[in-house]
Amino acid sequence: MTWLNFKEEQTDAPNRSARKQCWESRDLFFACLDKSKIENSLAPGADKQVASACAKPLKAFERDCASSWVKYFQEKRYVDIKKERMIQDMKSKGIEVPFGK
Amino acid sequence: MLNQRLSAALSVSRVFRAAPLRSFTLSSRLQQKSAAPETPELSSKKPLSRIAVGVNTPPKATATPSGSLEFASWKAIVLLLVTGGGFTWFFSREKRRLAIQKEAEANRGVGKPLIGGPFNLVDHNGNTFTEEKLKGKFSLVYFGFTHCPDICPDELDKMGLMLDELKKDNINLQPIFITCDPARDSPEIIKEYLSEFHEDLIGLTGEYNEIKSVCKRYRVYFSTPPDLKPGQDYLVDHSIFFYLMDPEGNFIDALGRQYEADGAVAKIKEHVASYLPADQRQQKKEAWYGFLFK
Repeated sequence: MTWLNFKEEQTDAPNRSARKQCWESRDLFFACLDKSKIENSLAPGADKQVASACAKPLKAFERDCASSWVKYFQEKRYVDIKKERMIQDMKSKGIEVPFGK
Repeated sequence: MLNQRLSAALSVSRVFRAAPLRSFTLSSRLQQKSAAPETPELSSKKPLSRIAVGVNTPPKATATPSGSLEFASWKAIVLLLVTGGGFTWFFSREKRRLAIQKEAEANRGVGKPLIGGPFNLVDHNGNTFTEEKLKGKFSLVYFGFTHCPDICPDELDKMGLMLDELKKDNINLQPIFITCDPARDSPEIIKEYLSEFHEDLIGLTGEYNEIKSVCKRYRVYFSTPPDLKPGQDYLVDHSIFFYLMDPEGNFIDALGRQYEADGAVAKIKEHVASYLPADQRQQKKEAWYGFLFK
């Protein structure tokens, strides 16, 4: 069976407290990004800006979250920012927003 | 005495009923005349209209059941409201029940099921679990994976709330979690993962092809990144729905993320309340009044 072959290399899935820890570090890092007005922290060239403004929270974020999550949350943040902007834009033009918020 | 005065005052206010009013006025005038010798100041100094009603003798005319028409009319209004309200409530409830039944029936599909079907997986204790185990009770099926960053844990917490809420109404769903990540999610890992959410949850995993097949049958989109190295960290994309299955193992509804726990609970309750077993559904369809349900 497939999972048996991989089992030894795999770490267990994060439990509730590990998830909470990761989310807290993420929120701190994102708060720093907000303050530094960095929208897409994964954009090419953004890494220097991130490193200079939010080095410490980034380090904690990377320590507390799996690498796939680190990438995922940053992508999601940028998508959410763009989505929010689009909704605001539609609202200001008087277009009804079908997907709420 | 006070009562009589009150009723007298009331009957005066009923302007539209002329006859009792007239008789009352007459009788009170007569009373005034007969009472005049004892209390001359009453009749001589004050106009009739100023004399308190029923001072000397109770005005008999007002005590007659002349108000029966009005009495009947407020009774009629109450009766109308109560029966009308009752009928409205009953028919809107029946209408909703039929709508839910229709929705479930449409989702069940004819012949080959639109969503759901046979599968062969392994539960978190290592036992075989097939679609046969969906029979006999309502099930709620959720697809996810244990390394899921934020949505699955949220949804599983929501599922736990829903299960507890439904239990209060004696509705015991069979909650099922099927992993989309069989490479990493062994029965042991799933068992440990689910123990943090709800004790009733049954976690299913299996061989990659079985998982692929069950996802296809439930119209769950999922993608594992290609070219994975063993031990590499990755995420699985997948669609997010709760699938409600009836006690015959048929799919009857999908509850998406737009539902909060309360809304999902309400919808599930409706489905459970309006559920009819297959033979009764068939019977209803074939009955002479079956056209009503089409």
